[in-house]
Amino acid sequence: MPNQELTRVFRALSDPTRRAVLERLTRGPAAVKELARPFEMALPSFVQHLGMLEDCGLVRSTKAGRVRTYTLAPQPLEAAEHWLLAQRALWERRLDALDDFLNTLKEEKR
Amino acid sequence: MTATITHKPDPKLDLVLERVVNVPPHLVWAAWTTPEYIKKWFTPAPWQTVDCQIDLRPGGIFRTVMRSPEGQEFPNTGCYLEVIENEKLVWTAALKPGYRPQNAASALLFTAVILLEPQGAGTKYTAIAIHGDEETAKKHADMGFHDGWGKVLDQLVTLAKTM
Repeated sequence: MPNQELTRVFRALSDPTRRAVLERLTRGPAAVKELARPFEMALPSFVQHLGMLEDCGLVRSTKAGRVRTYTLAPQPLEAAEHWLLAQRALWERRLDALDDFLNTLKEEKR
Repeated sequence: MTATITHKPDPKLDLVLERVVNVPPHLVWAAWTTPEYIKKWFTPAPWQTVDCQIDLRPGGIFRTVMRSPEGQEFPNTGCYLEVIENEKLVWTAALKPGYRPQNAASALLFTAVILLEPQGAGTKYTAIAIHGDEETAKKHADMGFHDGWGKVLDQLVTLAKTM
């Protein structure tokens, strides 16, 4: 999986709403309305979350009439098991911490 | 002044991360080479780097001690391979100080290359993590040196597999 896609998977997984949706979908496909029910959120915002999950291939959707149903597509998750991904996550977070620290350092040296 | 990359990354084994920061190279260099600074950022929270020792010359020690959120400590002792001030830093976990080979089972064997280039008033830096083979690396990951992501992913993968 190219890095850009991995980054998208990570971004998609970084949000508790989206993770909750994935967890719900592990119990089987569900329509948008049902998926949205547990969240106190305007439907357009919720649909955006679903869009992010679909864009990175974590879920798939089909439309029958006016009802769009979502299904889990676990393939990216399996790819994400790869050890290298864990290493990348570590390095990304390490460099995030470095960037924060560098900004502090710059202020101090001013 | 351009530092040369003598390593060709293998996408299956290596990581290449590039960042641009609005901070001059000498400060980025200081962050990578000063023990007091390393302790402040090297290990993402909730892990901590509680000790760090640096002898900044080829063959010199680069030692960090990381502490898990549960309080368990993991010392890592490696050695520097290349030190070009404000430009290039290479160290490896595969060798102890003085270039003595490590016991391969004891650590994740990797080599890290840090390249710094001035970019405007700031710095473009590249971090390359070079890993030996997938098996040792995987073993290391299994040991639990995961950050929060590891846990999130594990949970999701487990859930996905129960489908």
